[in-house]
Amino acid sequence: MAPDYDVEFIDRGDRDREARFLVRDVSPAFANGIRRAMIADVPTLSIDEVRVIENSSVMFDEQIALRLGLVPLTTPDDYEIGETVTLALDVEGPGTAYSGDLVSTDDRVEPADKNVPIIDLKDPEGSETPQRLEVEADAVYDVGREHAKHQGGVAVGYRHLQTVEIVGDADEYGDDDPHILRGVIEEDGELIPTEEFDHDLTQRYPGKEVEVHDVPNAFVFHVETDGSMSVDELVTQAVDTIHGRASELKDAVQL
Amino acid sequence: MELRVIEKTDTELSIEIAGEDHTFMNVLKGALLESEGVEAATYDVNPEQSGGQTEPILTVKTQEDVDALDALEAGADRVMEKADDFRSAYEAA
Amino acid sequence: MMVPVRCFTCGNVVGEHWEEFKARTQDGEDPEMVLDELGVERHCCRRMLVSHKDLVDIVAPYQ
Repeated sequence: MAPDYDVEFIDRGDRDREARFLVRDVSPAFANGIRRAMIADVPTLSIDEVRVIENSSVMFDEQIALRLGLVPLTTPDDYEIGETVTLALDVEGPGTAYSGDLVSTDDRVEPADKNVPIIDLKDPEGSETPQRLEVEADAVYDVGREHAKHQGGVAVGYRHLQTVEIVGDADEYGDDDPHILRGVIEEDGELIPTEEFDHDLTQRYPGKEVEVHDVPNAFVFHVETDGSMSVDELVTQAVDTIHGRASELKDAVQL
Repeated sequence: MELRVIEKTDTELSIEIAGEDHTFMNVLKGALLESEGVEAATYDVNPEQSGGQTEPILTVKTQEDVDALDALEAGADRVMEKADDFRSAYEAA
Repeated sequence: MMVPVRCFTCGNVVGEHWEEFKARTQDGEDPEMVLDELGVERHCCRRMLVSHKDLVDIVAPYQ
């Protein structure tokens, strides 16, 4: 009995950074394995070591280094765990140093978001030189388990696909409280995101008493990335890590 | 991945799988439970702070005609098959 | 001091939108609308921008 998955996209956000898709006939264990793998096991590049050449800004070197580490970098998939890329940043005030000012030695690696302010540099009165930030940084390819800055996915999760069953009429003189439901419902084989009726079942089924049921083994994944890779890359790489572990286990058992 | 057999009879196996966590262990356990010939499969992990055994220990019980180690190997195969299927289903969508 | 690069709770990059958010809200736009248009959806990320205050100008003279 081979598993027979069925994937269906519900929506794809702009810039490949966000997607929602439904997977059918997947066991809860496997769905959770994929979710966890997306968060903790898909490696990304992130600045991990900073050599400060000059920092006359109002922030400490460590604070700057932390901020640089959090900037997502586009990550090609041919890196090995622990491999590094060197980036440099050199900005003189007055003005703001942005993530986009980072220059990398590998032109496939660049800040995914260019407008993140790193530090505001001033030209203080009475000082001879304006504030300046010059650093050299090593970005390391590592997994989210090591540090949250290496997490490729943000807000990765899933919900059950649900169905709504009409069980009768609503109490005529009852309170007309909203019946809030978030996610995706299935109605006669059609998938309806709850946004369509403002997440309120009383708007879609006015005057009806309804019951909500989970569809077994059908999960609606919501995947968002920080920009270091596309959703497709994130999902496929997460699945590959699970595959890789299984084949490793098989090899180890055979010995 | 380092394996260490803790207890082994023909139909029972207790094995430590070093370096793994719930991500893989639960998938593996789920796959084992779906496999034919496997009567019970479970795993146990202790938190880092507990100080003792912190690597996951997988325990498998099989029916009489199935060797537990073979079942584990089949379970790994099954996980791979699932991963391949998921990937191709995703790429098809 | 400086706007946080990421949301503390979910890890979404919010620093990216700070300057636009600041400029537009100072022009009198409704912060709610601005955040919606910027795509800062979750309330964990929204509070990062709404509750932030730039302090570099205040600290700068004491360096």
